[in-house]
Amino acid sequence: MSINNLLIAFIAIIAAPLLGGLLTGIDRKITARMQNRFGPPIIQPFYDFFKLIGKQGIAVNQTQMVYVLGHLLFAIGALVMFVLQQDLLMLMFVLAFSAVSLIMGAMSVRSPYSKIGAQREIMQMMAYEPVLLLMVVGVYKTTGSFMISAVFQHDKPLLYSLPLVFLSFLYVLTIKLRKSPFDFATSHHGHQELIKGLTTEFSGSQLALIELTHWFDLVLLLGLITLFFAQPLWVGIIIALICYFFEIVLDNISARVTWQWMVKVTWVAGIGAALVNIVWMYLIP
Amino acid sequence: MDWYILLAAILLPALSAALCFTIRNQKVRTAVVSVSTLSLFAVAGGLIALMINSPDGKIVFQMDESVLEVISWLIKGFDLLLFGYIAYVGLKHKKAIVFVLSVLQFIPWALFEIFGVFGKVYEPEKAFVIDNLSLIMIMLVSIIGPIITFFAIGYMKEHEHHLKLKVSTQPRFFMILFVFLGAMNALVMTDNLSWMYLFWEITTLCSFLLISHDGTEIAIKNGLKALWINSLGGVAFIIAIILVNCSLKTLSIQAISASGMQGAFTGMLPVALGLLCVAGFTKSAQFPFQSWLLGAMVAPTPVSALLHSSTMVKAGVYLIVRISPAFSGTILGQLVAVVGGFTFVAASAIAISQSNAKKVLAYSTIANLGLIICCAGIGTRISLAAAILLMVFHAVSKGLLFLCVGTIEQGIGSRDIEDMQGLFKIMPFTTVITVIGMISMLLPPFGVLITKWLAIESAVHQPLVLLFIILGSALTVVFWAKWIGIILTMSYKPKYSLEKLTVSMKAALVMLITFVMAASMGIVPLYNQFIRPQVISFKIADKQELVGTGMGILLKKADEAVYGSFASILFFIIILALMVTIPFFTNRIKPSRMKPPYLCGNNVDDDYKGIEFIGPGDKIESVVVRNYYMESVFGEKQLTLWVNIVAGALMVIMLGVVIGL
Repeated sequence: MSINNLLIAFIAIIAAPLLGGLLTGIDRKITARMQNRFGPPIIQPFYDFFKLIGKQGIAVNQTQMVYVLGHLLFAIGALVMFVLQQDLLMLMFVLAFSAVSLIMGAMSVRSPYSKIGAQREIMQMMAYEPVLLLMVVGVYKTTGSFMISAVFQHDKPLLYSLPLVFLSFLYVLTIKLRKSPFDFATSHHGHQELIKGLTTEFSGSQLALIELTHWFDLVLLLGLITLFFAQPLWVGIIIALICYFFEIVLDNISARVTWQWMVKVTWVAGIGAALVNIVWMYLIP
Repeated sequence: MDWYILLAAILLPALSAALCFTIRNQKVRTAVVSVSTLSLFAVAGGLIALMINSPDGKIVFQMDESVLEVISWLIKGFDLLLFGYIAYVGLKHKKAIVFVLSVLQFIPWALFEIFGVFGKVYEPEKAFVIDNLSLIMIMLVSIIGPIITFFAIGYMKEHEHHLKLKVSTQPRFFMILFVFLGAMNALVMTDNLSWMYLFWEITTLCSFLLISHDGTEIAIKNGLKALWINSLGGVAFIIAIILVNCSLKTLSIQAISASGMQGAFTGMLPVALGLLCVAGFTKSAQFPFQSWLLGAMVAPTPVSALLHSSTMVKAGVYLIVRISPAFSGTILGQLVAVVGGFTFVAASAIAISQSNAKKVLAYSTIANLGLIICCAGIGTRISLAAAILLMVFHAVSKGLLFLCVGTIEQGIGSRDIEDMQGLFKIMPFTTVITVIGMISMLLPPFGVLITKWLAIESAVHQPLVLLFIILGSALTVVFWAKWIGIILTMSYKPKYSLEKLTVSMKAALVMLITFVMAASMGIVPLYNQFIRPQVISFKIADKQELVGTGMGILLKKADEAVYGSFASILFFIIILALMVTIPFFTNRIKPSRMKPPYLCGNNVDDDYKGIEFIGPGDKIESVVVRNYYMESVFGEKQLTLWVNIVAGALMVIMLGVVIGL
């Protein structure tokens, strides 16, 4: 690990949450406008974050914070792997650790809402993990390497070879961001049957750190979209932002589906589409 | 050279067995087991030292012809005794198939070994050859095996207390355990296929004796099941021996392993290799032969731990990994990979529907063995390295987890996962160890996950196998995450009480968790010292390479281009940091800040678990939440039949292909 790498990692760790928080603020603004509201200022997520940090520490059991930290640190680990252009497959596994850590935290309390949210989150993971791994395989078949650095050295955008994999990934992105219609692990509004699902029993600084992790995740996932258009990079960034806008629109126009429906559709259509794409990649000599 | 250490590895357990059986005194037995444990550690250590000092990465024991002859006849005598005893078991329990399979093994064996109908028997001169793969197996057998045996001292006392036995059956129990360990050691050290067959059959018989140890109806039934399914493998094994002898003119296992590169993959050899694989599948409980391993959990927990981690099932994968260079890159290799991959995904799927902790572990064992076999079938250097690494990681983690479940079962009187809620309060010591053990089975940067990663990265040239591994790893996350979540569930105001465990159980758990952490953190030296030389010495065409460097491991193509890497050590820093913070956070929060969870109404005041609330009409309701098991999709009933049909079909296809070649 050279000094240069350390510097890149450091910048990423500082910049990612700023960017993620800003994007979340824009999300809230756009959502508000779509609902004919004025909406909060763009930097409202940061106000919220600091307010949560300052709250009196209340816990439902003593170990919750450990899981939240695991959730955060492994998300940061994944992001660092991304900016240092490391192994894409292992990045997915590290991301999975982050998700499992939150699930453990949600299940460590005796609240039924939190537990049901966690169970649904596990089902989500079962649904989207294969698609993410297949995406990595698709990238390998195109570039001949599992390293992200190879994507940037590849002369053509990955999208030419992997259009269906890209669509599957977009679909999975909605699940991963817990946006409607797939917000059944934790809902946007606390007055529904699920209360807040997965995050029901987290409060104060714990909730702040979960929000922070969400920003890291958001930046990383958008970063993964840019991989499909890595040449030139600015096109990739614009496409990623367009995709994010699309997610926001989808979030606002759809109602929550059941998790059973989601698992079925993801395994059939999501995995199916990615697989079809990969099969033809195998047939090209 | 150094004969004493070879003899110690095989005969020391035999001596301990004899002592345990003849001296029926608890204190003496404890002493014998403790001394044997330490001596077996010393044997493993001695062999490691020998190996490090040997220039060509092999320890060869050459015998004089006269000695060889005597031992050969001794082995034949034991073979005969074994056939006789297994046939007797079949008659005694009126299980025709056991008897028939025993006869079916005896006939070809007698024709081949005694009457020489199939021509000369080419016994290799180098009777015992220990290379790095054997050494790794010896480490597993002689380090994890004794730890489990040591655990059994405390466990069996409690176990017999529960059963209310008048006369202790422990002498018999410990005798069989030690015979088992001795046979496993011999099995992995010998280079003679027909000698290996004897040790193979001894482990089969021992597993029967151990599974049926409690003598209940179900125990005997499941023991017999293990016996006949493994005898099926025995039949395949003996036929394979004859075919190998005819086609290669030697019974040396090293020669079989090296035969692939001579372009000799025709005639009878593929059939022999196919049959050896089938023998390995039965021993490693691959679908459709899985039922015996699931039945084996009626036995006392140390038995399950031993069968599932370091012995028995590992013998099967050992054989397959050992001969895999011979079929590397052939259609047989691809089929073996498909069979293993299929077992991996099918067993992981069924595990989701299980709420019995031991059954979840059993299915997870079957799945991981499937993955090992799959890697052996893929047959590149990297995949073989992954297979051997997984053998190590799986053995330590699974051995630990079985002992944990046994401890939990004695603590709470149940092995149902749903009953383990709030375990942290009553058994904090066991809980912490169990959770680390489980995490080591599924999450990075622990070893099992690293091998899964290597498996995917080396399976990219076989799409079907790749799909199996990908689906399998997604399903794996589900059943582990559910279980970890349950076990970590805590009340909001718990009153901890440290559980009381016997010294032997506590020591065994601590030793194994140390090995789990050490193996995963030391993956780079482990790989560089033992596995890399082994993988390079395998004669296979593939030249891609796995490189262990300071921070982690790299995957390199033949032209030195890095195409995958993981700095696992850096992530261990995060893990260790988290572990350090746990006590910090648990002590920081004042009791007055602890609040009950939100339920559907007012919480009941004096309910410190936080599961009761005041519902409509002032009635006290309690909350019950269960995990999702999705019986209707992943249930044993729904899947087993279909999975067996598919796996059976794969087996027939494999045999058809090798016969047709």
